[in-house]
Amino acid sequence: MERKTKKNDILLIVGLLVMALLFSMGLALYRQINTRQPVAVVRIGEAEYGRFPLNVEITETIELSNGAYNILKIENGKADITEASCPDGICVRHWAISKQNETIVCLPNQVVVEIENGEESDVDSMTN
Amino acid sequence: MNRIKKASVLAAALLLLCGLAVYFQSSRQPMRYTVTFFDMFDTRTEIVGYASNEEEFIRQAELLADKLLYYHRLYDIYNDYEGISNLKTINEKAGIEPVKVEREIIELLKFGKEMYEVTDGQMNIAMGSVLRIWHDYREAGRNNPSAALLPPMESLEQAAGHTDIRQVIIDEENETVYLADAEMSLDVGSIGKGYAVQQVAEYAREIGMDSVLFSVGGNVCAVGSKPEKDLWRVGIQNPDTESNETYLRKVEIADACVVTSGNYQRYYTVNGVRYSHIIDPDTLMPAEYAASVSVVTRDSGVADALSTAVYNMPYEQGRAWVASMDGVEAMWIFGDGSIRYSDGFEDYMVQ
Amino acid sequence: MSTKKIAYLGLLLALAFVFSYVENLIPVSLGIPGAKLGLANLVVVVTLYTLTEKDAFFLSVIRIVLVGFTFGTMASMIYSFAGAGLSFLVMVVAKKTRLFSVTGVSVLGGVFHNVGQIFVAMWALETESLIYYLPVLVVAGSISGVVIGILGAEITKRLMGR
Repeated sequence: MERKTKKNDILLIVGLLVMALLFSMGLALYRQINTRQPVAVVRIGEAEYGRFPLNVEITETIELSNGAYNILKIENGKADITEASCPDGICVRHWAISKQNETIVCLPNQVVVEIENGEESDVDSMTN
Repeated sequence: MNRIKKASVLAAALLLLCGLAVYFQSSRQPMRYTVTFFDMFDTRTEIVGYASNEEEFIRQAELLADKLLYYHRLYDIYNDYEGISNLKTINEKAGIEPVKVEREIIELLKFGKEMYEVTDGQMNIAMGSVLRIWHDYREAGRNNPSAALLPPMESLEQAAGHTDIRQVIIDEENETVYLADAEMSLDVGSIGKGYAVQQVAEYAREIGMDSVLFSVGGNVCAVGSKPEKDLWRVGIQNPDTESNETYLRKVEIADACVVTSGNYQRYYTVNGVRYSHIIDPDTLMPAEYAASVSVVTRDSGVADALSTAVYNMPYEQGRAWVASMDGVEAMWIFGDGSIRYSDGFEDYMVQ
Repeated sequence: MSTKKIAYLGLLLALAFVFSYVENLIPVSLGIPGAKLGLANLVVVVTLYTLTEKDAFFLSVIRIVLVGFTFGTMASMIYSFAGAGLSFLVMVVAKKTRLFSVTGVSVLGGVFHNVGQIFVAMWALETESLIYYLPVLVVAGSISGVVIGILGAEITKRLMGR
């Protein structure tokens, strides 16, 4: 009797450990499949305007209700604002982005393009 | 089972428990969080930090952002805010009367005067009259590029006659500021951001945040290092925004700040020529010596002031000047893409 | 209820309380609110095997309320209830099946304690990503369960064989 329960104990522990292992492997796989695709997320103010995968080349005109606009171009796996109605043009003069958390910001139009699921950037911040 | 055997089983169990405790304690790594704000200093503010949970970090980051916003309002020369006297108020009362202001304005202006001395006049917060003219022409030029014009030299020179920093009268006892010259005005664009970041960085240390990286429109300032003593890595951006290389060099810092002054983001074009927003007090025209100058030093306000001053100097002069100062290093990127460093700059660089 | 039993239960409760306190002193937190090694589970296991399920249940509840009011917050109390509740249920069922020894029962208790807490945390914090902690917590729960099981069996043997 006692021997049997001891055997069951061991089976239980081994079973739990195997389950934990399989589960974490499954999670890792799920994560890889789900987050591999880098996207450029466009927000106007707080609201999300759209998500554009970096592997699909497009040119999207982001039009605002007041007639202002920013043109988002995705090319060679990078997102860039190539043209905008804002007077300062800082967003246009920004580099194309492709790394995790990189952003292009157009303050006058309140348009923010941010990369999600991108490759980790090798810097913590940048000067400009 | 004899006693010894039992005791040893118990001891082993206890040991295992202790080991586990230590293991989980050490494996509890703080997580990295980033929050971004868009309502300060007309630019993007990013606060990166490590904390054990997100709520805690966001709560702290918002404290810091509130501070920054407060400084932003005090140092604003274009907008009024209810219930506070800011630099715009002081400018409006130039030649009329002293204005009672907050301690933070007095301290900033004192710092501005100090930096004027340090930079031998290359960084002058009393140059508002000149900068205002450039600002107006730049705005007009951006709104209507085909009709963009340069400001006439006569009006610039006329304005330059009203940039004497000694006419900024600070009365510390009564906490007032008075511009004795009615034609003059303050513009702290070259130090306000850096100074504010420095104050907020010190505040972060006070409230026990020992691993934070600020980036306020490219004014990067590190409080402490990353966990495990890793340094913060900061990219120095490529002035050529068409290039595929976003940053040309990377530096690693802890408890230090990096500020870049450059001609490649805020500028306007007149007859195909770019005119940047950094104006040389000597020529009253945008300086053209380098495409960008980055300065690394401990204090963000000093870094901000020095990067502007060095940007306004010929390379040789700037290099000699940087070499004369302790704990200050600089990097120049020129229009042709060539790069120069001060003697100690390469110690910060990631090879 | 005999005086002896009342005294015994009081003693166990005090012990559970002290264990919770010790756990509070050494925060072996895994970044998840309320996830602990579960030392107090030792007392629950011992009670389960020396007294009745009802006694163990009440002991568990009183401990959580006491500890919650003394060291914790409302939130930490909810986590504790979720963890301890699920853990207790699974242990009672496991004991009834007679398939496992004290060790097996306590391993299941440890694991489900953590499982219960993580699901409540996922619900309360609205962060599904906490599920990534599950494997770690299952392993942690198993290990602490083994330790507590061995200790619990020793103690039970002595108490019953007296």
